[in-house]
Amino acid sequence: MVELLFGRFIEMNLFVALQVVVLGFIGGTLSGFIGSGGAFFMTPGMMNLGVPGVVAVGSNIAHKFGKAMMGSKKHGEYGNVDKRLALCMVVTSFIGIRLAVMINSALFGESGGHGEGGTAASNLYISMVFIFILSLVAISMLRDALKSDEEGGGPSMKIADFISKLNLPPYVNFKVANVRVSLWVVMICGLATGYLAGTIGVGGFIGVPSMIYIFGVPTAVAAGSELYLAMFMGAWGALNYAFEGFVDLRLTLLLYLGSLLGVYLGAYGVKVVKEVMIRVVTGLIILLCVLSRAVAVPMYLRQLEWLSINPDWDKYFNGASKGLLFFAGISGSLLILYHVIRGYRQRRRIRTTLIEAAAIPEAA
Amino acid sequence: MQIICISRGTFSGGKDLAEKLAERLGYACLSREEVIEAATKEGIPVGKLEMAMVRPGIFSQRLALERDHYLAFSTAYLCDKIMENDGLVYHGRTGHLLLSGVRHVLRVRVLADEEQRIRTVMQNLGLDRDKARKYIQEVDEDRKKWVHSMYGVAWEDAANYDVVINLAYISLDNAAAALMNVAQLPDFQMTPAAAKALEDLHLAARTRLALARDERTHWAGVKVRADRGVVTVTYLPQDAKVAEFIPAVCRNLPRLKEVRATMAMTNLLWIQEEFRPDSELYEQVVELATKWNAAVELIRLAPEGAPPNPEETLSVETAQEAAGPTFRQYNGGIEDEPSDPAADDGGLKSTLDQLAKVGKSGGGRVVYGGQHQLINAIDRTMPYTLVVIGEVFKSKGHAAMLRATRDLRNFLGDRIKAPAVTADELGSHYLFGKRDLVKAAVFLGATLLLYFLVFTHEEPILAFLAQTGWYAEAIKDTFLAKAHWGAGLLVSLVVFILVPIVAYFYGSVITAALKLIKME
Repeated sequence: MVELLFGRFIEMNLFVALQVVVLGFIGGTLSGFIGSGGAFFMTPGMMNLGVPGVVAVGSNIAHKFGKAMMGSKKHGEYGNVDKRLALCMVVTSFIGIRLAVMINSALFGESGGHGEGGTAASNLYISMVFIFILSLVAISMLRDALKSDEEGGGPSMKIADFISKLNLPPYVNFKVANVRVSLWVVMICGLATGYLAGTIGVGGFIGVPSMIYIFGVPTAVAAGSELYLAMFMGAWGALNYAFEGFVDLRLTLLLYLGSLLGVYLGAYGVKVVKEVMIRVVTGLIILLCVLSRAVAVPMYLRQLEWLSINPDWDKYFNGASKGLLFFAGISGSLLILYHVIRGYRQRRRIRTTLIEAAAIPEAA
Repeated sequence: MQIICISRGTFSGGKDLAEKLAERLGYACLSREEVIEAATKEGIPVGKLEMAMVRPGIFSQRLALERDHYLAFSTAYLCDKIMENDGLVYHGRTGHLLLSGVRHVLRVRVLADEEQRIRTVMQNLGLDRDKARKYIQEVDEDRKKWVHSMYGVAWEDAANYDVVINLAYISLDNAAAALMNVAQLPDFQMTPAAAKALEDLHLAARTRLALARDERTHWAGVKVRADRGVVTVTYLPQDAKVAEFIPAVCRNLPRLKEVRATMAMTNLLWIQEEFRPDSELYEQVVELATKWNAAVELIRLAPEGAPPNPEETLSVETAQEAAGPTFRQYNGGIEDEPSDPAADDGGLKSTLDQLAKVGKSGGGRVVYGGQHQLINAIDRTMPYTLVVIGEVFKSKGHAAMLRATRDLRNFLGDRIKAPAVTADELGSHYLFGKRDLVKAAVFLGATLLLYFLVFTHEEPILAFLAQTGWYAEAIKDTFLAKAHWGAGLLVSLVVFILVPIVAYFYGSVITAALKLIKME
């Protein structure tokens, strides 16, 4: 195991720094492509480098804060932000984040936070939540992608229909999103989104689908509103994790170096790749990230002395986990970059697309 | 020639009013149900669209194409009926929105007493009172969502109508009589400019329909604009293969003179009173369109209030006389637009030709009037990336013109889901200039300094973040240590302030660099 500075921060050298920058770049590219924050890649990636899970989540959430501030302004210009919806979710999301920080901190502090035992508990907890939630996200995404290709329709609105039949006043009208939802439902979704954002750093994969499937919000407004919400959640998460001493500023800054560049490439990729392909690629990348986390779990179980295996195998588990993760991220990024370059070349080749029909005489 | 569109709620008496009005005026009457039936026979899954619109989720590409197909079909069907008759009364949801850009359409919203509607539903559908009320609420809610999803406007907003009639306080006969009088006003008589707009709309709808019907182009997500027989078809890069089939598919359409196909990811909307292809603003717009792979759509905003042509002015009493076989000959009412719309087009055609040469033409048209006429003519479901407002309201004084332009920018920015900028703002916001260079240099310097400081002082910074080492020593005898939350609070505040600053500085550098290489 890597020796930790002050019991929680990894030693930084040029090689480690470059890996973090690459993580940020790949995470940013995927986030621009998929529309999420990229934490599903960056958080486990940092854990593979030996960063304790709670510090990985804290540093990533601080990074998300700054990035969301930059991004939500653009979405607002396109009228895709329902501020009222976001602000109704923000209060309970703050509670969710605080709860997550308390749990993560408590688990980290179990063995004084030093060495293997302390970090293993919080690492295991973060990994299990990650595996459970993101498996559901990936499977439903792949299922929807295949279903929409066959039937030509969107995903099922059964949940939204069921919820709309329950009588749970008070109801709130959200003008921009053009929906009317029970405030209780909004607040519960806010709590869940905040809790998951605070636990694994992934808010968009929960917030956006809940807005679409449960509230019935149009996709563009869901994405824009979630980004606006992410700004507040990121701020509150950064405050809480920094308060507990779990933000590594070096990691946050290094992530920015890669992510703020990658996000533009990813966003460009969205324009040149078909919607179904985006969903399939996203689903597969997330599944690989889930698998990479699952491979690391025996290592944490061993560190907690819940599993009896050879400690020398830790490096193989970590190596396999890291390999899977980077394979997922690099192949996804390469696929996106391939389409970006191809689209750019196509534009140059078909620069002038004027096609004039010969003057057609008017019909009698 | 008249077009009257009546928007009605369920069981509100709108259908009866429309039929009575049509009978009194001697016009044809067309219902939404008829259009739906025809669309269903065409093979458009209207039921599925309704379900998707009223319960929006992820609207798939396939459904989005079916929606375009439905809109094109409905518009073409409505235009066909208008042209077959001297006048038409349409009743449905918001038929006038199918005729966007066509002025002098009388837009009527019919309301009814809720109690009366409940009783009607109870009687007709055999429901009890509560179920009848719930039925009306649900149907009205679904209609609101349909209109919002289809057209981007609020069904219930009175600003979308010329007349709102509440049948709770006026009988059907009197309502029809009142509408007849309103319909005779010059404001609602078809003018040559409106006739031209209708023809263009009809041609665009027919073209879109033809592309949807043909197997080779059915799955392409295209946008179509028409102007005086010149049709501009904008398609996405992933549909590049269909471009070669577009002329063949459109070949036999009546009144089609020319087809232009433009590949574009998105649209820029440029509004100006007079266009000049040799202007600096034209160069800037084309540069931006090239960077963003956008088609440029032009709207010439021409002023209203041109002096009437005395030879063509007819009295209001004769407005109801049947026009000639083609509505082009009708000049009834007080003219407020040039009689020959093609005479002075303010450089529109030449600019469109130039744009077509560089593969950036998104079509163009003329709108007479001010901001209200303009917003009614703009398709609010079109995903514009940017709206550029050039020189408009030139007849006003300089200060008044600037004020009016800014007002228009704010007005459009509130109503269209895209940023709106004036010509002055375009360069500074979206194109790389000296200011960007200076800003980038300053921010790059600040970023490098911050990174240098953080990475050359790792240990003290980490000690601060972990609230141990020198930091714990330093605050030992201060109030921060006494309040157990004090140490953590200072750390969290520093992180809270520093992190977005770094994001802003570094993000600005990246944005400037991408702007410079035109990849923004």
